Amino acid sequence: MIINTVTKNYSAETNEFCSYQVTYINSSIVKSVPLDEANTDYQAIQEWAAIDGNNIIDNGA
Amino acid sequence: MAITRIGNIASTIPDDSIQNVKMSNIVQSKNILINGDMSIAQRSTSVTGITGQGYNTIDRFETHASSLGTWTQSQSTTVPSGQGFATSLKMDCTTADASPSAGDFLYVRQKVEGQNLQYLKKGSSSAESTTLSFWVRSNKTGTYIAELYDIDNNRTISNSYTISSADTWEKKTLTYAGDTSGSFGNDNGRSLDIAFWLGSGTTYTSGTLQTSWGSQTNANRAVGQVNLADSTSNEWYVTGIQLEAGSVASDFEFLPVDVNENRCLRYFYQIISKTDTNSINAYGYYYSASNIKFPTRLPTQMRSAPTLEQSIATNALRFYRDSTYDGLSANFVLDGNGSGRYVSMYNSTDASGTAGQAGHLYKYSPTQADSYIWLNAEL
Repeated sequence: MIINTVTKNYSAETNEFCSYQVTYINSSIVKSVPLDEANTDYQAIQEWAAIDGNNIIDNGA
Repeated sequence: MAITRIGNIASTIPDDSIQNVKMSNIVQSKNILINGDMSIAQRSTSVTGITGQGYNTIDRFETHASSLGTWTQSQSTTVPSGQGFATSLKMDCTTADASPSAGDFLYVRQKVEGQNLQYLKKGSSSAESTTLSFWVRSNKTGTYIAELYDIDNNRTISNSYTISSADTWEKKTLTYAGDTSGSFGNDNGRSLDIAFWLGSGTTYTSGTLQTSWGSQTNANRAVGQVNLADSTSNEWYVTGIQLEAGSVASDFEFLPVDVNENRCLRYFYQIISKTDTNSINAYGYYYSASNIKFPTRLPTQMRSAPTLEQSIATNALRFYRDSTYDGLSANFVLDGNGSGRYVSMYNSTDASGTAGQAGHLYKYSPTQADSYIWLNAEL
């Protein structure tokens, strides 16, 4: 699956950045990805974000 | 047959000194691979239209295809007679590609954590050899490749096997030398892939098959591999996959279903499955008027903090509370990591209620059969 958008999620309790919400091109699947370097979706987000033109959306808490 | 090695125990037992003892009763978890009997298929028992990379049916076995046909993968009940297996993994070609481009490929593989491989002593002068055994069947006879890929050090070793008789179960045993170069990381990361090649273009076949450990060279990885994708009549079955230390293949290690399932749950767990219908799946509460929280303890420690994957038709889920309900869609969010032992998810997009009210998450109707919430910590 090809990442379409990545948005930062914030905790309802602490207002701290807590996970990423990811959508994919031509897919109804949505992933909520933890901030864990061992998680393969987290690794994929970092690779995606490193590509010029890909930006993580941050709407704040 | 003299037994010279059982799992990690080195010993020599004379021929015929034991008669009725099965090796599987002596040592547990000698199989480096998980779910080798293909008995656990949490996600689905059949998936059509496979053209890419992903976990589809059998737990822990990933398909990776790149422009080489279209496939249906299923958990089949076609098994070798009299061997104790009830299920196999089946690949069925539904759109053929008789002329692969150079970079095309297809394989089925399992990825293994480095911390489960330390006893192989890879990268040391006493590195263990490993033996891969499995039952395989196909209408497509010829040469196939089974490859070990050291991800930590980018090294590979391949062995070939031959399917000699069409549509006949055959047991294959392949031994791979120990590797004195490059150790596996002692952590929960991906260290070793075991790949069953089913087809490839010349990028992976134009060299000489690398039957000794060496730096990864694409041209040497799948030399001689037949193209299973060359006809929609083609199918390939496999079961009883076991990778163990040493140069001898022992009997397949059958595990109790709860043990096998629990090993799979380390990597994948369903809060709501596709096949759940009219079911209560979780309990939660209104943390605030616009936020429902679902703290969930997991049945086992997952490999990493898991991804929450969801595909939910509009209002396919309901949160029942105080004699009413809220329709919920694919707007669940992980609130923190949980370290793989628990998760807390919330929905603040579809929620409108009273803080403090508790309730349960309910999958409403069979018409929403494909809706699910999964936790995924695969490698």
